[in-house]
Amino acid sequence: MQCPCHNPRVVAFAAALALIGILDTAPDILISRQLAATAHLAVGDVITLATTPTGGRSSSFRVAGIYEPTPDPMRFTAQRIEGRMHLPDLLTLVTDPHDPASADAIGSINVALAPGTDPAAFAHDITAGAPTVAVRPTSRPPQDDPFAVLDRFHLAISVVTMFGATAFLLALMVIRAEERRETVAILRLVGIAPRSLLTSVAIEGLMIAIGGALFGVALAFATEGLINRFFQARYDTALVFIRVTGPLAMKAVAIAAPLGVLAGIAASWTLLRGSVLALFRR
Amino acid sequence: MTPLQLAWRTTTRYRVRAMLAIAGVTVIGALLFDMLLLSHGLLLSFADLLNSEGFEVRVLAREGFARVPIPDSQTIADAIARLPSVADVAQITLTLAEGRADQKPPRRLTLVGRALSTTRDAATGCEVEINHVLGRALDIGPGSTFRLTPMPSADAATAMPPVDCHVTAFADFGFNASSDATALVSMAEYRRLVAQEHVDAEVILVALKAGSDAAAVTREIGTLRPDVHAYSNEEVVAQFNRNGFAYFRQISGVLSALTTAFAFLLIATLLTVSINQRLGEIAALRALGIARRRIAAMLLWESALLVGAGAVLALPVGGVLAVGLDRILRQMPSLPERLHFFVFEPRALIVHIAVFVVTAAAAAVYPIWLASTLPIASTLRREVI
Repeated sequence: MQCPCHNPRVVAFAAALALIGILDTAPDILISRQLAATAHLAVGDVITLATTPTGGRSSSFRVAGIYEPTPDPMRFTAQRIEGRMHLPDLLTLVTDPHDPASADAIGSINVALAPGTDPAAFAHDITAGAPTVAVRPTSRPPQDDPFAVLDRFHLAISVVTMFGATAFLLALMVIRAEERRETVAILRLVGIAPRSLLTSVAIEGLMIAIGGALFGVALAFATEGLINRFFQARYDTALVFIRVTGPLAMKAVAIAAPLGVLAGIAASWTLLRGSVLALFRR
Repeated sequence: MTPLQLAWRTTTRYRVRAMLAIAGVTVIGALLFDMLLLSHGLLLSFADLLNSEGFEVRVLAREGFARVPIPDSQTIADAIARLPSVADVAQITLTLAEGRADQKPPRRLTLVGRALSTTRDAATGCEVEINHVLGRALDIGPGSTFRLTPMPSADAATAMPPVDCHVTAFADFGFNASSDATALVSMAEYRRLVAQEHVDAEVILVALKAGSDAAAVTREIGTLRPDVHAYSNEEVVAQFNRNGFAYFRQISGVLSALTTAFAFLLIATLLTVSINQRLGEIAALRALGIARRRIAAMLLWESALLVGAGAVLALPVGGVLAVGLDRILRQMPSLPERLHFFVFEPRALIVHIAVFVVTAAAAAVYPIWLASTLPIASTLRREVI
């Protein structure tokens, strides 16, 4: 006769009972989408977490949900393999049995202040009462913000690009002006005032610049999704890398327009100020 | 007259437009050159910074570069020091501290404890080496004394009592940010300052004898203690290349592509508009018997002159621009003072030249086709008569 402990049905039944027991007692954990995908986990699965690669202290947790990590520009290159659990469960997992005091230690405390409270004054009060605690606001001062530096870098590149584009626009307008040398001479001979001609070339420059700027904005709008999707796939993040906003588009047009007018006027200046005969090369 | 001479005459005849085109190419070329410097600059600078420290291998408790004490670091450091290819081993640990000197506001600083395998580690009173940032902040230098208060680490429950420390010298810490204040003491003195009998190092740096293979040493260290992680400088650079520096490599790639496309479009447009203006002239040259090939060569030379002059001028302009852009990016917080984003390497120059040769040739294709296929008689009738 087969011993009950060797009977596969009995073993399976015992395993199922144990699993039900674990599921009943295992605390909940939320895991990131990236962790779920990497470890092929789904809601309801029971996982074991250990404090060391060799298994150290370990506990079982039931996956209660899968979340999309909040996009963090400071960590966009990092793989977000992470989970969230209740603090007592974490402390139970990581507490060193030889150091009971570690059960009472946490890394940081986040504090939401009432509206109108000065974060600096609050930090000062806390530090005065507990000098060994570091208190700092979650918002970075501009000098500590790497994105403020990147912003300045991108602005500098934009300015340089604008100089290059202006030189090309001027060259094009010069060619256009030379093309119309004789036309301008005839118009001046028939009595059209240089001021009117100047206005017309200014308007032409304006139209070209605004047309170019609008095309650029349209191109940026069209490629925005493409670039975001590429980088989001590249870094497995929900972070938005490019956002073409209305004020940004307006700024591009506002910068381009006066540049176009100036380029048009500068390119046509000699045609409108020189003698008419010189325009006929006589 | 050769095609080059013809192109030169045309370019000098339309001086203003040529100068403006060259100015445009110069600016765009400078930007392209800078993006090429940026693509590898940070890595080169980082590798240079690592190598300048004089240590080829670093040992850490965990994979990655988190600062965690290495369990029983003294034993593994001694074992590493006995390896035949190892010249020196430095155990490093650090914590926050505060420095005070008369009349000066207290200054938060990083207190570094270091033990070298080649020198005796002894606590001989608080003798510290400081960097210039701390020296300026507290107005102290070699020979001065200041009060040092180690701040509590994660393990310490209370603040340490302040200790009078004597500055022996100024030191340069390669990975210090421009605003970081740092003080260096012996490991024995560090233990005394933080009132702990035993302090494990957070990183062990290994200097190799000349001609030794860093990769082989990292493997040997892995055999000595499988639970620690040893990285050669090349591996550290490769890891940062994969993670930390990817953004700048990609932005430089995107901007390089955009500036090249921009330069191509604008040169092609300028040449095309210029050709359209000179259709009668070109038709007349063709009617005089000048071959299509020479006309094409002339246009190619025109493109080469505009793009070439701009590309050459772009190098000094790009150099100046790189200094300015580097200064902006180096304002990033916590960035090592000696790290640079834009670093010259011959590869960047070669790519710069190659890109502009291709751009000049590509930009001339359509104008050449236009000039080569124009019907001579009808063009002359339309343009001249």
